[in-house]
Amino acid sequence: MTVKTKLGLIYVITLAGIITWIAAVFLAAYLKSQSSPLSGFIYAIFSPTCHQIPSRCFTAFGYPVAVCARCLGIYFGFLFGTFIFPFTKGFAEPTLPPAKTFILVSIPISVDTAGNLLGIWTSSDWVRCLTGNVWGLILPFYFLAGLSDFLLRKKKAIASKDGMGEST
Amino acid sequence: MNERRPGMFVPALIGGVTAGILSGIPIVNCLCCLWIIGGGLLAAYFLTRESSVNLTAGDGAIVGVFTGIIAAIVETLVNIPFRAVNEKLSQEMMDRFSQFYDEMPSGWESWFEEGSFEGSIIWTILWFAVSVIIFSALGALGGIIGISLFKKKKAVQNAEGVGNVSEDTSDRKS
Repeated sequence: MTVKTKLGLIYVITLAGIITWIAAVFLAAYLKSQSSPLSGFIYAIFSPTCHQIPSRCFTAFGYPVAVCARCLGIYFGFLFGTFIFPFTKGFAEPTLPPAKTFILVSIPISVDTAGNLLGIWTSSDWVRCLTGNVWGLILPFYFLAGLSDFLLRKKKAIASKDGMGEST
Repeated sequence: MNERRPGMFVPALIGGVTAGILSGIPIVNCLCCLWIIGGGLLAAYFLTRESSVNLTAGDGAIVGVFTGIIAAIVETLVNIPFRAVNEKLSQEMMDRFSQFYDEMPSGWESWFEEGSFEGSIIWTILWFAVSVIIFSALGALGGIIGISLFKKKKAVQNAEGVGNVSEDTSDRKS
């Protein structure tokens, strides 16, 4: 498998993964509305990663979705970021975003979270979702670059091992 | 030149235990997945501090995956004594939620009864399995971000020659 194919495969798997993940967030509420016992299972899947406090969750089909507004914002941000990824330089040669960019996109979510935790203000679900969204946008650029680097390095290591073998 | 690639276990252990404890304690765990990403960041920080070689995003991903696995183990263990507290908190939240919303879904009171299987071994195993998978991905993310954040410091420290952990991977031509 060529490097380009591998990168493409990583991208497709990541994209399919995040779409499935977001679909499951809403599926939990839908199944709950249908009184399906499976809904409990899906809510449980998301429980290790989210507090799932109902008052902080958007509702769908009359029930809270499986994650809070901030988490949902991050997931949607991740999805948008994954869509954007091929249109940047990153897809041909995966590069990590500069630290400054990460700090910049982290400011809204950090300020909002700190303000809420300290009781200075209480953000609406939409604000939580939006700040999460901004932060989530940059995450696939790290995730995909990291995975690509890992796979390419493995390939490089195998190639150099073969080279050494030939030279001896 | 004595270039040394550091062991990943200790950084992953520090990051994983920290993230696992913080994400397992009720109320503190309201930061959701951010603790696990934070654990990956912490592990990457210790990894870059110990390293005298160029670290790449792939190194961050590996140490992050280990961090996530350790965090999942720790979180599962921390969760056991806090389970009753968590259920009580959820019940209180729902009570408060019902005061704000006129139309609560029918039978919401029984949600916690349905969740009574949470005390079972099956639930603990399921919780752990899901945690391992999700935390590994989140930890990897944190590790990669950590490598990109802490590499500059490393480059300054090693300005005399050893590694500038390159921000991009553009030196790899396919």
